[in-house]
Amino acid sequence: MTAWWERLTRAAQAARAALQSDAAEIEEETQGEALPPGSEPPRWDAEADLVAVGSGLGGLCAAIAGHDAGAACMVLEKAGKLGGLSGFGGGEVFVPANDCLHALGIEDSLEAARRYAEFLAAGFQSQPHLEKWLDTMNEAVRYFGEKADVRWKACEGLPDYYYPHVPGTLASGRYLSVDIFDGKTLGPWQQKTWLTPIMPMGALHEDMYRWGGLAKVREWDYELLGQRIADDLRTFGPGMMGYFVKAAVLDRGIPAYTETPARQLLTNAAGRVIGVRAEHEGQPFFVRARRGVVLALGGYDHNEQLARSFEDMREWHGVFPGHLHGDHLVMGMEIGAAIASVPPTNLALFYGYQIPGEEVDGMPLWRSCWEGGVPHAIWVNSQGERFCDESFYKDFQPRIRAWDGARQLQPNAEVFLIFDGTYRERYPLGSFMPGQPLPEDLVMIADTVGELADCIGAPRENLERTLARFNTGALRGEDPDFGRGQWPWAVRMVGDMDYPNPLLGPLAKPPYHAVRLRPTSVGVNSTGLKWNLDAQVMHVRGHPIEGLYAVGNSAALLDLGGGYQSGTSNCRAITWGYVAGRHIAAQPPRES
Amino acid sequence: MAEAEYVTRVAAPVARVWEFVHEMDNWAAFLRGYQSHEKQGERDSIWVLKGDVGAVTRTVKFHVHIDEWDAPAQVRFTLRGLNEEMNGGGSFLLQPAAATASAQPPGSAARRPGWFARLVRWAYRRIFGRSERAASAAGAADGVAGAEYSQLGFQLRIAPGGPMGPLVDAMLTPLMLPVAEELAEKIAARLEERAR
Repeated sequence: MTAWWERLTRAAQAARAALQSDAAEIEEETQGEALPPGSEPPRWDAEADLVAVGSGLGGLCAAIAGHDAGAACMVLEKAGKLGGLSGFGGGEVFVPANDCLHALGIEDSLEAARRYAEFLAAGFQSQPHLEKWLDTMNEAVRYFGEKADVRWKACEGLPDYYYPHVPGTLASGRYLSVDIFDGKTLGPWQQKTWLTPIMPMGALHEDMYRWGGLAKVREWDYELLGQRIADDLRTFGPGMMGYFVKAAVLDRGIPAYTETPARQLLTNAAGRVIGVRAEHEGQPFFVRARRGVVLALGGYDHNEQLARSFEDMREWHGVFPGHLHGDHLVMGMEIGAAIASVPPTNLALFYGYQIPGEEVDGMPLWRSCWEGGVPHAIWVNSQGERFCDESFYKDFQPRIRAWDGARQLQPNAEVFLIFDGTYRERYPLGSFMPGQPLPEDLVMIADTVGELADCIGAPRENLERTLARFNTGALRGEDPDFGRGQWPWAVRMVGDMDYPNPLLGPLAKPPYHAVRLRPTSVGVNSTGLKWNLDAQVMHVRGHPIEGLYAVGNSAALLDLGGGYQSGTSNCRAITWGYVAGRHIAAQPPRES
Repeated sequence: MAEAEYVTRVAAPVARVWEFVHEMDNWAAFLRGYQSHEKQGERDSIWVLKGDVGAVTRTVKFHVHIDEWDAPAQVRFTLRGLNEEMNGGGSFLLQPAAATASAQPPGSAARRPGWFARLVRWAYRRIFGRSERAASAAGAADGVAGAEYSQLGFQLRIAPGGPMGPLVDAMLTPLMLPVAEELAEKIAARLEERAR
């Protein structure tokens, strides 16, 4: 037995060394008073059949499905609020051939979905994972609609990212979102669930489209939104997670502990996971899991070392609250879990900026920059050159990581949003509306293009040439260099329908503005725990680790492969949370 | 417009409360989210506050102008957002107050509150997150031996502007009363602390 554990320990150490991580940081974060493998803790402070670590969509779906299948469930959450990353995002769930879509008379099929999914995966998927995901997603989404009272509705008019240029794509209907959720029904959890500053609070997709989209944000119905906010009527991610939190914690009475970070997976002598060592109110908190532990902690956006190791970027910022530390990887590898990766090249990385003084949960808030795709705006790199279609992140993402081998640097790692006086008159920057003063420490302003080039440190002739070329095309409604305007999804998101090409307008009116941008992630990482078709975490030796499951962004993208489409993360969390919860409930309980 | 008014009773004479309140340096740090303030002459100052607007915490810079010093009864001021579209104003209001029936009689200040009063305090803190002193006032008021009493009121109103005004208004409204209460209660607590 000792030799077996020594081998395991060596494997775990080797995997951890491969991370090239700062060991001290990980020790501080996850070790504390670690128990030796195979030893029981001094006491069990709580116990359940299924222990979900993380209260985002994956954790709560596992807990709800497990509960309904007869398992006693419990949720441990590191943050002070429930909902995880899912409660902070857009709340879109990408589900081809869903019931809502068919109810609208839109035709779709799983075969079309498979063609598109395989295009996205680009050969980096595990085909059995992809197939089971496609075959199960509607069952899972339907289940939570019926059993957890989640009021799904299709986002009419929102195309697949690659529509119509890729076979199997659809013009409308595959994204689900939720109808308005009344936050007041959360009772004691009303103030302990995430709201989000990155989506327009109180608005539905259909409202945004009816009001003209993000480019017309100054003309939205703010009386209506103000009333919904006053009534705590939630939409987007907070609305979606409102339904799931209510279903889990209130309707089913599943205990949920906030500010209770998991620190270590506890195993018995056979290597089976038997519980979790967590922290609660500053004290060790030992939670026994009779049937299984589900790791649903999101990714590692706020672990600089992991992000640097796995994401091929020197600098990395997270849009979401700062609880995504990759604890699932560290805790999993500590007991021999395997990890798996897909190329980080085209997942969900953006450019963003930080408005001085803006914070969420005590940390600086990074806003994704959508402004570059709007008329009268572009992005340029430090050389003053455009390098992408700014409106379509599937185009610009691979270019963020472009490598200049002669200069040994990533020329597009730091870029600038450039816009002119017309933009300023028509569109906001973040929450700053036209006419509202812009923060001096965020925005550089100059009367001429040359002077703006000086501000950003780019050669004057480059920036002047870039704008002249862009303007010539924009006046014709064309972008000969990067084809801006060819993707209906981008037009729907940021297009201004007052323009022949809703994404193009020249930058010709002073003053000229520049905002420094940085790479910002939305929690979809390239590396996660390796898992099988029952969502069980795999050991580095190729067998499942008994009692351990991973779902959501903690689970490697074996099903999705090397691409990304908005709503796929939520769909994965729902599907595999559902699978994991039912599988755990079907296991015999481990007696003490 | 988001607005709130909060009134509390202070175990100190009006003159002493006025002496404290009319000098902003005394209480500036009691304001929720206070970051800094800078006097610009007799009546003007620049304030930097950090506050929650919906899901995000923002740093807001205000210009505050004192419209009226009416010693020792009131201070009236107007405020204007420098980096946000918002205007507003408010006032401190002072008047003598009699020791009410709920106040403890002189000489009994040091007495430990009974179990019921302690329960009320605990419940107030749990439910409303209010200050110890506010909870105390709601149950059995702390008294100060031989004290004269004042009534201290704080009014605040903020009108967000621009197209998003109604939305910001909805986010600010629930914060106004706690902000007013917290400031008034902290001032009162500090004065009573000095009196002991």
